[in-house]
Amino acid sequence: MDNRIKELRARDGLTQSDLAKKVDVRRETIVFLEKGKYNPSLKLAHEISKVFGMTIEEVFRLD
Amino acid sequence: MTTSILIMLTIWAFVILEKQTNIFKGLDLVIFILIIVLGAIAFFVALKKEKEEKQGFVTDDEMSLLIKYKSGYYAYLASMYMWLFIFIFKDKFPDIETMLGGGILLSALILFITKLVIKKHVNG
Repeated sequence: MDNRIKELRARDGLTQSDLAKKVDVRRETIVFLEKGKYNPSLKLAHEISKVFGMTIEEVFRLD
Repeated sequence: MTTSILIMLTIWAFVILEKQTNIFKGLDLVIFILIIVLGAIAFFVALKKEKEEKQGFVTDDEMSLLIKYKSGYYAYLASMYMWLFIFIFKDKFPDIETMLGGGILLSALILFITKLVIKKHVNG
């Protein structure tokens, strides 16, 4: 699964740590998400999308 | 895992140091080195987790739990074969403490290695 997390973080001026704290995960999880090494649960995908004010489909997409 | 490794480290360091005349012979040396290495790794992992907690991060989340569950499963399977191997070759060990202690330490090492492998291929 592909995502725009890194791009959206830069847009909103958020660090990986900031985003991790907002969605209650470890910073390592955000690192793995950005590298495409981990696919989030629906709940986490929803929470991350909410932080960016976008829908899940706008943040994440299947390869 | 961190706590159990630290406890094991303490017990086995005590047991091996008691046998001071044999400490640098054969298998005892390997076990001693393994204790030090695993103990050091456990110590630094514990320090890192404490630092993250103080910075306001959660210590466990969905990804870390998934890694723990997956690595636990595969490590358990590998350990079963390891103990079978130890059982088959039990006569090759100098004494029962070395056999059991070595087996326990190898189980910890298997779990550590499995965790590293699962982390590389974690996709949930």
